[in-house]
Amino acid sequence: MPQIIVENVTKTYLVDAVPLDAVRTVSLRIEKGDFISIVGHSGSGKTTLLSMIGGITRPSSGRVLFEGEDIYAAASDRVSEYRSEKIGFMFQFASLLPILTVKENLLLPTVFRPIAAGQETVKAEELLRMVGLSDKINAYPAQLSGGQQRRVAIARAFMNDPALVLADEPTGDLDEETEGDMMRFFKTMNDAKGVTFIMVTHNTDLASQTKRQLRMSQGALQTL
Amino acid sequence: MAFRNLRRRPLRTGILVAALSLMVAALIFALSFVTRVNASIKLTSDRLGADLMIVPTGARGGAEDILVENRATSFYMNRSFLDRVRKIEGIDKVSAQTYLVTLTGLCCSVPSSMVVAFNQDTDFIVAPWLKEKLGRKLRKGEAIVGSESAYNISLGMVEMEAKLFGTVFSMVGVLDKTGSGLDTAVFISDENIDEIIKNSNADIKPDQISVIFAKLKKDADPYKVMSEIENNIIELDVVMRKDIGKSLIVTLGDISKIFYLTMVLSTVLSLFLVWAIFTAIANERTREVGIMRALGAKERHVVRLFLLEVLVLGAIGSIVGIIAGTALTSIMSQSFSILRNLPVELSMFSRTVIALAGLLFGTGICVLGALSPVQRLKKLEPLLVIKQE
Repeated sequence: MPQIIVENVTKTYLVDAVPLDAVRTVSLRIEKGDFISIVGHSGSGKTTLLSMIGGITRPSSGRVLFEGEDIYAAASDRVSEYRSEKIGFMFQFASLLPILTVKENLLLPTVFRPIAAGQETVKAEELLRMVGLSDKINAYPAQLSGGQQRRVAIARAFMNDPALVLADEPTGDLDEETEGDMMRFFKTMNDAKGVTFIMVTHNTDLASQTKRQLRMSQGALQTL
Repeated sequence: MAFRNLRRRPLRTGILVAALSLMVAALIFALSFVTRVNASIKLTSDRLGADLMIVPTGARGGAEDILVENRATSFYMNRSFLDRVRKIEGIDKVSAQTYLVTLTGLCCSVPSSMVVAFNQDTDFIVAPWLKEKLGRKLRKGEAIVGSESAYNISLGMVEMEAKLFGTVFSMVGVLDKTGSGLDTAVFISDENIDEIIKNSNADIKPDQISVIFAKLKKDADPYKVMSEIENNIIELDVVMRKDIGKSLIVTLGDISKIFYLTMVLSTVLSLFLVWAIFTAIANERTREVGIMRALGAKERHVVRLFLLEVLVLGAIGSIVGIIAGTALTSIMSQSFSILRNLPVELSMFSRTVIALAGLLFGTGICVLGALSPVQRLKKLEPLLVIKQE
C-alpha cells in the first residue's frame, strides 16, 4: 500500500469574494522511501499541495491518506499529532523563532510531542553537526546568516524522526556548495533511513537528482 | 518563552504592568478603607455594653464621631432627661456620660482630647475596664486615661499630674485597649464637674450631661423602646447598638461609590488596554504561531503559551499594585481624618485576603482581556499565516 494517497484534492480560496482554485483535483500516490520533486511557476499551487499533504491546510474537497488513514477525518489534535510525529517541514522562508537559540529552535518540535523520545539534546547536537553548524548551537537566529538559518531549519525538520519530509524551496538561500551538501544530506536520510521526501523547487538541476519529478501548472499536477 | 516574549517589547510590557498596578492599587486602597471602617464600627458597637445610646436631637453624628472615629466633640442636654428615660417601659439600667473637650495651653496641660465624666454608681460602660485595671473606683481629683492617650504620657507630654480645666488631676492608670474611640479619652468621675465649671470657662452648665446609655430588660423590644423614647421625649435621638456608625456608613457609602466608580472605570480601561496590547501581540506573532502549529503544536499549546504570558504580566502588575496600594493606604491613613481616627487597624489576615483579592482581580482582568485575541490566534490556519510572509 502507498504511504501517501492524495485523492482528487482541490483547494479553493476566495479572493475578493471570487473563488479561485489553487489546487485542482490532484491525485497522487507516493510510496515509502520515494523522493519526489515538484517544479512549477510561482502561484502554481505547489506550496498549497505540500501543505495539504502535511496537514497544515484542509482541502476544500478530496482526501489525503497517510498509511491508510484519512488525516483530515480526524479531530484537530490528531492532525497536530500527525504533523508532530510523521512530518518534517522545511518552509520556503527562514522559519526560526527569534527569541529561541539555535538549540532551542531545534528542540521546539519535540516539545509538542505527546511522549518525549529522550536524548533530544544529543540528537539536536548531532543534526547541527550534520548541517555544519555545531559552533552555532547557542546563537540566536539574528546572529546567523540567511543560509545558516536555512540549515538550522533543515536540521529541525529531522528532530522528530519524520517518516515524510516536506521541503518547500529548502535550498533557496544557500550557495552552490552548501546546496550540494544539503542535497547529499537529504539523499542520505532517504537512502539510509527510508525517509520519504517531497521537495518543491524552481531549480530543475536539483529536481533532476530526485527519484520522481512532477510539475504543477495552474493547480494541476503533471508527470514530467 | 513567556518571559522572553515579554522582554521583547519592554516599553509596551511596562505600560501594561503600570496600568494593572494602578488598578490593583486603587482596589487595595478601596478595600482596605471600607474593611477598616466597617470593622471599627462593628467593634465599637460590640464593645459598647449598652443597647441604646441616647443623645440630644441632632447630636447623633457627634456621638458617633467620638465612639467610632475618636473625634473630640461636645454636646449637652439636661440631666433631668436621665430620669425620664429611666421611666420608659423596657429600660433596665441607664447611665450618663458628660463629654468635655480639652484645649491645649488654654485650660489644660494635655494634648487636645476628650474628657469623659461618668457616674461611677450607675456606669456599666467604663466600669468593667476600670475594674480590671484599677480594681477600685476613681476618687475625686483622679483620672485614668485610655490606651491611646497613654501613648502621649509615655512621650512625656503628660505629667503624672495634669491640669484639666483648671483643676489638677492625678493620672492613676491606663485602661486596656477597648478598640473604640474611648481609647483616646481621659476618664474622670462626674463628681469633678462642679469644680471644673467653677475653675474654668468650659462650655458646660451645671446639671448637664452629654449622652445616656441604656440597657434593656431581657424581653424588651429595642425598636419599641426606641420609638417610645423618641415619641415621648422629642428633645432626644436614640441610636440602637446595631445602628451605631450608620451615619458614617452613609458617608462612607458615598465615598465607596466614588471608589467603586473609579474601580469600574480603571477596570474597563485596563481590560481595553490588555485586549488592545494582546491583539497587537497576536498580530505580530501570527507567523510564529503558524510555524509552531506546523511543527505539531496543538491549539492548547498556543493557548498555554499566551496564557502564561498573560499570567506573568498579571502577577507582576498585581504584585506591584498590592505594594503600591498598601503604601498608599498607609500614607492616606495619615492624611484622611476618617482613617487616622479609626480605632481598628487591619489584621494580617484581612491584609492577606485583600492582597489575594488584588492578585486574583489583576490576573483575572489580564486573562479576560487576552481571551479574544488568543482564541482568534489558536484557530488560525497555519498555511494562511505562514504564507503572509
